[in-house]
Amino acid sequence: MSAAREDAPLRCEGLARSFGGLQAVAGVSLALPAGQVTALVGPNGAGKTTLFNLITGNLRADAGAAWVRGRPITGLKPWQVARLGVARSFQDLRLFTHMTVRDNVLAATERSAWFWQPGGAAGRKRRQAAAEAALEATGLAALAGARAIDLAYAERKFLSLARILAAEADIWLLDEPASGLDPASRTRFAELLRAATGRGVAICLIEHNLDVVAELSDRIAFLDQGRVIAEGDPRSILRDPALAAIYFGDRHEPATAAAETTA
Amino acid sequence: MLFLQLLLNGLQTGAIYALTAAGFALIFGATRIFHFAHGTAFTLAGYAYLFAWRAGWPGWVGALIAVAVATLFGMAMERFVYRPIQRHEGSFFTVFVAAFGVGIVVQNLVGMFAGRGLATVDTRLSFATEVMPEIFVAPILWIAIATAAVLFAALTVFLTRTHAGVALRALAQNPDLIRTYGLSANGISVLAFAIGSALAAPAAIVTAMTSGLNEAIGHHVMLISIAATIVGGIGSLRGAALAGLMLGVAESLALQFVDTQWAEAVSFLALFAFILFRPSGIFGVAMAR
Amino acid sequence: MIAYLSNLATQLAIFGILAATLNFIVGYAGIFSIAHAVFFGLGAYAGAQIALLLVPDVVLACLFAAAIAGGLSLCLALPALRVRGEYFVAASLGLQMVAVTLFAELKPLTGGIGGLVGIPLPTLFGVPVGVLPVALAALALVLLATALLARGAFGRTLTAIRDAESAAEALGKNVAAAKTLAVGFACAGAGVAGALYALHTSFVNVESFTMEYSVLVMAMVIIGGTGTLWGPLIGTVILLSLPAGLAFLPFIPPSEVGAIQQILYGLAMTLLMIFRPAGLVGDLSRGRATA
Repeated sequence: MSAAREDAPLRCEGLARSFGGLQAVAGVSLALPAGQVTALVGPNGAGKTTLFNLITGNLRADAGAAWVRGRPITGLKPWQVARLGVARSFQDLRLFTHMTVRDNVLAATERSAWFWQPGGAAGRKRRQAAAEAALEATGLAALAGARAIDLAYAERKFLSLARILAAEADIWLLDEPASGLDPASRTRFAELLRAATGRGVAICLIEHNLDVVAELSDRIAFLDQGRVIAEGDPRSILRDPALAAIYFGDRHEPATAAAETTA
Repeated sequence: MLFLQLLLNGLQTGAIYALTAAGFALIFGATRIFHFAHGTAFTLAGYAYLFAWRAGWPGWVGALIAVAVATLFGMAMERFVYRPIQRHEGSFFTVFVAAFGVGIVVQNLVGMFAGRGLATVDTRLSFATEVMPEIFVAPILWIAIATAAVLFAALTVFLTRTHAGVALRALAQNPDLIRTYGLSANGISVLAFAIGSALAAPAAIVTAMTSGLNEAIGHHVMLISIAATIVGGIGSLRGAALAGLMLGVAESLALQFVDTQWAEAVSFLALFAFILFRPSGIFGVAMAR
Repeated sequence: MIAYLSNLATQLAIFGILAATLNFIVGYAGIFSIAHAVFFGLGAYAGAQIALLLVPDVVLACLFAAAIAGGLSLCLALPALRVRGEYFVAASLGLQMVAVTLFAELKPLTGGIGGLVGIPLPTLFGVPVGVLPVALAALALVLLATALLARGAFGRTLTAIRDAESAAEALGKNVAAAKTLAVGFACAGAGVAGALYALHTSFVNVESFTMEYSVLVMAMVIIGGTGTLWGPLIGTVILLSLPAGLAFLPFIPPSEVGAIQQILYGLAMTLLMIFRPAGLVGDLSRGRATA
């Protein structure tokens, strides 16, 4: 296990952050293995999105550290973390609303903020190809000229995913990417994730629907009150009655539940 | 001695700033509208009082007219400018440009009909007497401070003790709560504009009696209100009022070190510094943006 | 008549540059600056000093003005990096007010309230030259640059930042660098306009760099339509020909032409925002961008 942790594309140790008196994330250690989907599960307010924000540098950690392929990323700015190959989606999507679908995706391929992008004409061709491929894969090719703000709900979710695809990152942090999707869209979404893990992408996703978690994830990390209280394969975690009690808000003995499952 | 004199002058300016800033902060706190035409309400109230005085009407009539003009202006802005813009999801900038346009129109209309340049109301109240060696104080100083204190106390009572006041404070955070009180969000929004704008009137009257009005004074008032609201911390009425008072005193005390023309720059330097280094203001909690 | 038209055309070109560069940061980057006249002024003083102290070479004056205005644009870029929305507008207003005081008081550099007088007629590599052709060339260059920047990756970056800053950052965009560059480009452009203005009028003082002028340029951009190439130019033509047009109306006393003009454009700003927030040229949904 520890060897696997060292090799993991993304790893964090003891990440902690409090807001005022509230300990939102209280020492989380986690490794995302390549080619696997790790689901972050836990009741509302467990600190899942905060954990993402700590990893990507949107929030500064009070304690702890994180590494991308062994390289420390603590203290880096969000765009620097992104350029190391960490792509993330947001619960509220944050699309570039007044740009076309194609421009949304193209923007994801262009890293530099300068007037000119590296790579010249060949680079531009490659970026355009990556953008078209991402549009194709997410089924948005026909809508490439539409503005993001005019898309339907599911289309918006796929556009947010297309940006990540086009960014060619090998670590994905997805915040509720499947919520509200109809079954057909969910199938397409699952295929996209499979294809990505097949290429060795390490994926971490936050998800509330436990059916979706069971269907998509290879591993589960169960977060409660800012701590990972259980980690393991989906079947054993989802069957654990103590965790179910916490998840569904029937909180009796969280301390013992944590002790038993992590043991 | 100069210091004490400047401090007293500063308190008078500060009381005026505090009133206008509190009005601006009240409107912003309740409606989340950055009311850039707040200075225009001030201009209109000041000139309304000036006209009443020129017509020879008693002071209290002029004051009532000034308050009425400011209040009506605020309500009209809410009803005819901000509400239609917010209906089509106008961004803050749409709101800003529209309000700014109104400010330009009023400034030029006032210039055309009331004359351009300095205009003051002469009154015995602004006649300063030597109360201590080298210290000159006019009755208007005490009037300004007392008015600000009384109005602020009344405002606090209104906001904490009455249904409408509580609803006003709740509007920004929880519009549903308003409905449980049996009030409409639109109604509360109009109320916020009415009260916020009315607060500009006493400040305008005192200004007319002391340093005087000019048609472009609205810009200055608006900027001071914004500066005080940001320095005080957005969302804090008390912070805005206190910051207004502090800016007034700071501008006045700065005169001990710099020439008059720099005094105004003091407020804007404070504003600029706060935005750069502490955008949440003195009393504000961390802001969302 | 020729002189009158040539003067009007020069003014149009100069304000066209101001409107086009302001539009670049307002329309694409969502940076709503009410301090554009500050950088216009910086360029004007810089250009005037070059002409007075060194040579009245128009290209040299423009380059120096662009460098000064572009360099000091950090004063505007810093708040743009820290805050957004109303806060930034407030910061730019504060900057505008402080700058006017500085312009009026720093006599050795700006000539104080009296301004700088007797700026020599412009030359180009020693040959006397009119400001109009240079101004038109500069306008064309600015428009070309704006169009190229706005259509390419840089424009996409800026629009992405405008629409969702955190998402742009999460995709690896260095937001601070992009904003600083955009502001620097726009302010350098305003500086060039300032240098041309100084050489054109051969006299500059603080009156031309007040908040009223910042708002006038903003009105040009808004009325024409933000985020479009031609909108700001159309706005410039409308607002600059307004006083000329009003002067021909017999029932308006000449002393009130300025006030009537301001009332008209104030009204236009308010009514447009209520009924057509994208401006005359802009496509409608763009104007609804939430900042």
